[in-house]
Amino acid sequence: MSRFRLEGVSFLNSKNSIAFRFLASFLILLFGVSACRQKIDLNHIVIWHQMRVDERVILEDQLRQFMNANPGVTVEQIYKETEELRSGFIVAAIAGQGPDLVYGPSDQVGPFEIMGIIEPLDSLFSAEYLDSFIPKGLTYYHGRLYQIADKLGNHLTLVYNKAMISSPPQTDEELIEVGRRLTVDKNGDGKTDIYALSWNYTEPFFFIPFLTGFGGWVMNDDGEPTLNSEGMINGLKFIRDLRDRYKIVPGEADYNIADALFKDGKSAMIINGDWSWAGYKKAGIDFGVAPLPKILSTGMWCAPMVSPKGFSLNSNIALEKRPLIIKLLKFLMEPELQLQTARALWTLPTRREAVESDFVQNDEILRNSALQIDRGRVMPVVPELRGIWDAMRPSYQAVLGGAKTPGEAAKDMQALALSKIREMNE
Amino acid sequence: MNRSAHKLLIAFLVLPAFVILLAVVIYPFLYNVVISFSNMNLRHIKDWSVTGAQQYVKVFTEPTEPNFYVVFFKTVIWTVVNVAFHVVVGVFLALVLNQKDIRGKAIFRTLLILPWAIPQYIVALTWRGMFNYEYGSLNLLITKYLNLPAVEWLKSPTEAFIACIITNVWLGFPFMMVIALGALQSIPHELYEAADIDGASWWHKLKNITIPLIRPVMVPAITLGTVWTFNNLNIVWLVSNAGEPSDQTHILVSFVYKAAFNLYRYGYAAALSMVIFAILLVFSLFFMKKTKATEAAY
Repeated sequence: MSRFRLEGVSFLNSKNSIAFRFLASFLILLFGVSACRQKIDLNHIVIWHQMRVDERVILEDQLRQFMNANPGVTVEQIYKETEELRSGFIVAAIAGQGPDLVYGPSDQVGPFEIMGIIEPLDSLFSAEYLDSFIPKGLTYYHGRLYQIADKLGNHLTLVYNKAMISSPPQTDEELIEVGRRLTVDKNGDGKTDIYALSWNYTEPFFFIPFLTGFGGWVMNDDGEPTLNSEGMINGLKFIRDLRDRYKIVPGEADYNIADALFKDGKSAMIINGDWSWAGYKKAGIDFGVAPLPKILSTGMWCAPMVSPKGFSLNSNIALEKRPLIIKLLKFLMEPELQLQTARALWTLPTRREAVESDFVQNDEILRNSALQIDRGRVMPVVPELRGIWDAMRPSYQAVLGGAKTPGEAAKDMQALALSKIREMNE
Repeated sequence: MNRSAHKLLIAFLVLPAFVILLAVVIYPFLYNVVISFSNMNLRHIKDWSVTGAQQYVKVFTEPTEPNFYVVFFKTVIWTVVNVAFHVVVGVFLALVLNQKDIRGKAIFRTLLILPWAIPQYIVALTWRGMFNYEYGSLNLLITKYLNLPAVEWLKSPTEAFIACIITNVWLGFPFMMVIALGALQSIPHELYEAADIDGASWWHKLKNITIPLIRPVMVPAITLGTVWTFNNLNIVWLVSNAGEPSDQTHILVSFVYKAAFNLYRYGYAAALSMVIFAILLVFSLFFMKKTKATEAAY
């Protein structure tokens, strides 16, 4: 045994041994082959996306239609969770690989553009074609088009259970008044059985409507954070009051808890995004969608962040493959296909023709969704937003946990955001 | 077989494993070392350059929120408490299951291994739901049957950290139990018979036979458990929802994840991961040497 071990070690030490030469040749062959450029399959397109299951089923059907219309062409769709999609695409694209198209919310455009891993699209489509989209459906960064969206929104709205409330509150005062009426302790055990409102208040994304309602915003036009503001302080005070003073929202709720409360009829209203509506329909809830209320003291509507979801082109894709990819993109953007998704999932289309269709104009949910989008603010695509989310989260949670006052939180958020952005851009 | 042919055979046998190791361990490790000395980040992802040890300096001196030393201290507590419970609970249950006169042993063994068989993601999110202040089953039990006030498990930093530890203890003890059970079953029964003849008590048999004889198996398992727990991103990340509340429940590895994938600080994250590697390497070598883990038991 020891002789075998010794020989096993020594064979690598002698550069003239057969084994060494064999090993060296194998490695050269291995890495030589892998270093060669991969053969490009011009008829095979790969899409990475983060679509949820019901969206995926529709995409699969649409891709099948495209493949039937284009014999010999195959399109492969691969699902990845949002964060995994971003990090995976960065790693793959930096290494000169990755999918042909990457699909997701528009805020990934900023980092991808700075890293130089996505390609501008404006030169690939005619101005006339691009004009057939509503402006919010096209995401520009540094003056170039980097994403074409098939869906608009990803926005929060007030979703209400029609069996518990007939008309949703229009203002913050109405919200409190209706909220007090709807919040009940049925059996008198001192514990609330039904809350008026719930939402995921561990994530700052869900706080944005209150920030904007009180006149605040996350950054200025130069991408600098503007978190230490009156809007921030008053917004934080307001949601803390909803919980601790008016007691119309649960003491603690993350996304899953808030969602479960609404589905179980233990919350009459929920602040949730367009992605959740199909699930509520499936759960058998007779629900309505309304724009978030107006804050009377400022006269401003609570405005959620709005972002399109769409396709960007990997910068590593060979020029000769682009015509087929453009053909696929144009197919997926067909107004009729966008309407197919809208009918099934209440997503808002981006082509003018689809937006102006009878279905979108007359469907109650889509009409209110469109109204909420109009009142919403477009999510910035600059990478600094990452630093701002990261800076908001701890202090926001500290206010809800009682560890900080809104004033302290606003000040700390701003300082931390500046420090995180400095770290990101060093 | 002549000498050259013999060497060729060895090369054939070693080569597949060597190539795989090279591709999935050695190359990524060396690449990580290089990146840790570079300025690779959002603004320098394609044009990065080696800039010296500045990322290491930042790891130890940069006033991050939370601070490196605080996170390191929490990681040590996280690891020590978890591994201690894994070993104590695991060995205790193994001793119970190793008794001759237990009925339905196979059923108990299967039930006790279950936490290990469930995907960590499911475990973490289920426990997170159970820790909810108003609707979580833990608080319902505490208030209804123990008449104690409800605990704000996920809202306060200490309680949230304890919640993560409870989840990981539940998840981790089956591994130690299985290892300990295997070690217990390999102890010759004659040793216990001889001890019985000598009038040894249960405690003396445990102290002088059981523990010394399961040690060679348990020490490598504890070393492995320590490394796994130190680097266990899933539980902390999912139970505390990425460090909630207020980034107070991070351990070093979740700190690395955040630096690399939230803020695109690849150079800094690589340097921090090298620091973690060094800590675990020193610990493993020291622990194995001190416990004489590689020495024979018999």
